[in-house]
Amino acid sequence: MYSAGIQGNKPRTPYHEFYADDFTPRDHYRLLWDHIKATGNSALEAKAHESQLALRAEGVTFTVYGESEEGIERIWPFDLIPRIITAAEWVKIESGLKQRVRALNFFLGDLYGEQRIIKDGVIPPELIYQGRDFRREIVGIVPPGGIYTHVSGIDIIRDEKGEFLILEDNLRTPSGVSYMIENRVIERRILPEFFNKYRVRRVEHYPSLLLAALRALSPRGKKIAEIVLLTPGIYNSAYFEHTFLAKEMGIELAEGRDMVVVNDIVYLKTTTGLQRVDVIYRRIDDDFLDPLVFRSDSSLGIAGVINAWRAGNVAIVNAPGSGIADDKAVYPYVPDIIRYYLGQEPILNNVPTYQMTNVKDREYVFDNMERMVIKAVSESGGYGMLMGPSSTPASRKEFMGLVQENPRNYIAQPVVYLSRHTCYMDGELEARHLDLRPYVIYGEDIEVVPGGLTRVALRKGSLVVNSSQGGGSKDTWVLAE
Amino acid sequence: MRYLIEHETILEYPNTVREHHIELRLAPRSDGHQQVISCSIETEPASEMATYRDYFGNRVDYFCIIPPHTRLVTRLKSEVETLKENPFSFEAIPPSEEQEWLLKAVRNAPSMNDFVLHRSLLTPTAMKLADAITQAFPRRDKERPLLESLLELLAWIPTILEYRSGSTEVHGALVSAVAQGGGVCQDFAHLFITVARSWGVPARYVMGYLDPGISQIGETLTTHAWAEALVPGAGWVGFDATHNLLTNDHYIAVAIGRDSYDAAPQRGSFKGEASDAQPLVTVTMQEQVQN
Repeated sequence: MYSAGIQGNKPRTPYHEFYADDFTPRDHYRLLWDHIKATGNSALEAKAHESQLALRAEGVTFTVYGESEEGIERIWPFDLIPRIITAAEWVKIESGLKQRVRALNFFLGDLYGEQRIIKDGVIPPELIYQGRDFRREIVGIVPPGGIYTHVSGIDIIRDEKGEFLILEDNLRTPSGVSYMIENRVIERRILPEFFNKYRVRRVEHYPSLLLAALRALSPRGKKIAEIVLLTPGIYNSAYFEHTFLAKEMGIELAEGRDMVVVNDIVYLKTTTGLQRVDVIYRRIDDDFLDPLVFRSDSSLGIAGVINAWRAGNVAIVNAPGSGIADDKAVYPYVPDIIRYYLGQEPILNNVPTYQMTNVKDREYVFDNMERMVIKAVSESGGYGMLMGPSSTPASRKEFMGLVQENPRNYIAQPVVYLSRHTCYMDGELEARHLDLRPYVIYGEDIEVVPGGLTRVALRKGSLVVNSSQGGGSKDTWVLAE
Repeated sequence: MRYLIEHETILEYPNTVREHHIELRLAPRSDGHQQVISCSIETEPASEMATYRDYFGNRVDYFCIIPPHTRLVTRLKSEVETLKENPFSFEAIPPSEEQEWLLKAVRNAPSMNDFVLHRSLLTPTAMKLADAITQAFPRRDKERPLLESLLELLAWIPTILEYRSGSTEVHGALVSAVAQGGGVCQDFAHLFITVARSWGVPARYVMGYLDPGISQIGETLTTHAWAEALVPGAGWVGFDATHNLLTNDHYIAVAIGRDSYDAAPQRGSFKGEASDAQPLVTVTMQEQVQN
């Protein structure tokens, strides 16, 4: 069974989600703990086996890209012990996320409009003008309702004191929501009796929330909204999710080559001829969206779609250009962005962040590299990152060179010992680090789905939870009041 | 002066292409230095033309040819009145106040940062050119008016680059032009921009036309390219590094940008096999006698 306490000489002890101390579970875990104690490991083993079979039968997979060009498709790694978030904890997360997403959308509208925040000296202009994802091509275009990020998946971690902190804003094409739902489907099957006892709030309505938000954007009105999910295709690591969401929402799954723009109207090529498209839920990056205005070598996008968007004939979700707001070099300014547009203090704090353009910060980071995470600002999914504690002298040297060459491209954060949670690992209950990615939909109002994707670092002691780097997952239970 | 411009571009493909989308930045600008009297664009096959103004204020005309075709022709016809006779006629401000003037201009219009900060293969950091250039880079002398330093820069460029028609690729890296010691007007403009930006002076690229009676690059007339730098007291001043001249009423500006890529006259995307052949471009520029 689980053994808590300080391990080795680690200076700080991560927060434990499940246990209050060595022997006592936190109150909201007691019911589950009693059950686990009563039924024992063999019952857990049976449940784990059952969940594996279910995942296989459902075909819940994801693709990992490594050294080779072709990805490897794997069964989604699921841990059967749920992560439980109390109603009170959720209130804070929910209000903090709504505040953040509202402010970031004001920020985007301002950047692509008047740029008051730059003129007022809150954001240094270099940050925006040297940002890869500031899209000059869309300056002056106002998307419907001034909303840019209809879907965001914001990563939250819990520090040693148990405080929820924002780690990353994912405002481009955040993935993982299908796994949030699949995890719930599996968990309902293997632990059915707990859902009522715990009054777990539902997450399965996510696709209908998203569909309503997409439908509301139709330039022809929501009654005749033809909606398409634009996927880069079967080789994309999130292709499972693209098919899942298209099926759940009952919308077309299409690739760029399945569509054509004629005189500023987007059409889907169907067996019965061209069919007008009103809303594109795109799961490809800006770079590839339109070869006419962005990368001309892209064969994934739709030529002319940005002009159709400018003409107001199609909605694109999330709006092109959203990526500048989740640029990791902009991230340290988000608390100021919240204060600037909303006149409020941030409800959820950032992780302390060092900017590599600042010489003092940079020197400090170089002197303490073993205790830092260094991240490339335009990368995601755990790529382009140095994890200090597990780094080698060679990799540290390499990153030092990279940072010096292009400081705007990197930030550093002190390693936060992510909170831990009990997991069922190969017949034993063991603690593993985890984070949380809740999903926020900005339609007529901002809605945070009560739950999210809890990602688990499966390797003992590891702090990297990304699925692409060998992370697992848990069902996430948010309790009703 | 009044000019009539005609600009025809013919694209031909060995096999049919389709779903062809084209953006044109061909319509001359209207600003304090020039006024567009008339402007029309036609295409072959015929198409429905739409327009918008891009981030840099350029007028973009765009259209699509969806059915299969092997040939695409665009024709611009525009009459433009140019007004700038003497580029030196502006009220200069003392050198000691110039820096503050520039900083203020950038503060008031954040998008001006693009013309200071932008770096690309076309306009790299001056450092990137250091290996290819053995001569000393011109320095900005802050004791004297900025315009004087910019004029020295203008005169320095022909010592680095010699005009050689067709010697570099469209949107080719500036460092390769510098390394071979020769290039076309784009490279001259990019080199000027690169050095001006290294001084912290906003500089931008201009694509346009030059009166063939002035042009010394001879042969057939095509579009021309030069640079503009922000000069305290004057605003944007055009520097034609290919001719070591300040631009005047013999020049017609069409599109501006951070570098030549932003100001490309024609950009397209189609389905089908790309052609190796260069587009066939014919430009005429005639002075119109006014009544």
